[in-house]
Amino acid sequence: MKTRIVVAGPVWVAVCLASLVPLAAQNVPKRAGPEAQQWKAPRTADGQVDVQGYWRQTNNVTTYSLERGEADRAVHIKITGQRAATGKPIVEPADGLIPYLPWAAQKFKYLVSVHEGPEQAVDLDPVARGFMEGVPRINLQTGFQILQMPNQVVFLYEYGHHFRVVPLDGRPHLDPRVKLWMGDSRGRWEGNTLVIDVTNHNDQTWLDQVGAFHSADLHVTERWTFSGIDRLDYEATLTDPKVYARPWVIAMNYAREKDEGYEQLEHAVWEGNKSVEFMVRPKDTAPAKGTKD
Amino acid sequence: MRRRQEHRWKARTATVVGALLVPIVLLAAQGPGPSPASAAGMPRTADGRPDLSGVWQVLNTAAVNIQAHHASKDEPAGLGVVEGGEIPYQPWAAKKQQENFASRGTADPVSKCYLPGVPRITYTPYPFQIAQTPTQIAVLYEFVHATRNIYLNSKHPPGPIDWWMGDSRATWEGDTLVVDVVHFNGDTWFDHAGNFHSEDMHIVERYTLVDRDHMRYEVTVEDPKVFTRPWKMSMPLYRRVETNVQVLEYECYAFDGEEFHVSAP
Repeated sequence: MKTRIVVAGPVWVAVCLASLVPLAAQNVPKRAGPEAQQWKAPRTADGQVDVQGYWRQTNNVTTYSLERGEADRAVHIKITGQRAATGKPIVEPADGLIPYLPWAAQKFKYLVSVHEGPEQAVDLDPVARGFMEGVPRINLQTGFQILQMPNQVVFLYEYGHHFRVVPLDGRPHLDPRVKLWMGDSRGRWEGNTLVIDVTNHNDQTWLDQVGAFHSADLHVTERWTFSGIDRLDYEATLTDPKVYARPWVIAMNYAREKDEGYEQLEHAVWEGNKSVEFMVRPKDTAPAKGTKD
Repeated sequence: MRRRQEHRWKARTATVVGALLVPIVLLAAQGPGPSPASAAGMPRTADGRPDLSGVWQVLNTAAVNIQAHHASKDEPAGLGVVEGGEIPYQPWAAKKQQENFASRGTADPVSKCYLPGVPRITYTPYPFQIAQTPTQIAVLYEFVHATRNIYLNSKHPPGPIDWWMGDSRATWEGDTLVVDVVHFNGDTWFDHAGNFHSEDMHIVERYTLVDRDHMRYEVTVEDPKVFTRPWKMSMPLYRRVETNVQVLEYECYAFDGEEFHVSAP
């Protein structure tokens, strides 16, 4: 028995290391270069670049922490049950950190410090509470399907049945008094790149589970570049002078989902959600029965 | 604490129901359903099908009660959408509907902001957008950002599957989109009056464009566990014709979300 363990140990480590190699190679998002505009992409009947189909992210980025990646692996697994993110999506600034203004850095530090068990529900990740993801976070959460029709692009996300409708007809954004969880999207094609301008965000969504946040003045510019028949390169520039010292950029890559007969399934999030019950720990509440603090 | 929770329940239920009804009270009474129009003016897609794309909404009070009903506080009167007026409940089910009605303030799944199921999502009565392709029609609803993916010419996956919105597969019968929906859970209601079904429900929806801005929407409900025979609803759907109209968000549970998490005493 003992011999078997001694033999198995190094083998197991070798297997683990081998399995990390392909992941590590994909962890750094590639940004689309000028060559992405050179190939002749297929077109829809109304002349749009045809990017319809199912897409999945290939950088192993999760919604846990935009800045930390796998650094908080144990906490990440404890909270989400998911494999930790090995990918880090922030490509600008070069240090991979969100350029908060001093007051915002203070607030973020506080949110990070309580994220495993806040005393009040407002300090818990809004997505854990069942609320919508917002943009760009939804693009880190889940694969999606793109449908196209004249003058619009529709994104369908499996997670929590989120959807986005992106008009391409040049209509103006909504009145700034209208605030939306998913913001208000307006798109245009620039060569093989779909550029989407997203405004009208509310100030309730977070960008990850540890509390990366923004104000209702957030302005997101997304660039979805169709770099090859099976490849979509994504960049989002986040501008919010109330919260950030300068604009910053996340990037990710997506591959076409090729499973025959693939369909999205229903994913009801709100119905039966117990996250607040399980994760929020008011100070004056006695520990639950049978548990020790 | 218990009293406070009860109060909260009542307050939020009133808010939810009130909010659901605000759009209704602004609307005029419904007329008889439009009849099929000539094929000449029919908008069509590139593949020759009627083009159902756009933002649509009902103008009725089916969300309150799919049967005819007089008004009560925050609940406008309505002519009903059930063909023939009666829902053919089995005796036990008729009694159960009465119980549901009596406790609808808290027992209605939509009062808890759950996905409303089919066909209730159609007449919630918030707007919804139809995004049509030759092989898949996505329906995107303002109410709790519900979605349905209706696949054309494909088969239901084998059940049983416990889905709030069911599994939708469609065919074109001439110019009518016929959607077959199965694989429901037994937790959704047809309306706020407690009309209900079991997980064995089978729905057939028929969407017929009668002119550019009107569709006839017909639903056949079959559920041998609850009803003595299949029965039908029908109502018109109206295109939202405002310039630049778009589906917005009604995130029902987000208005006082954390309160819903308080465990029942």
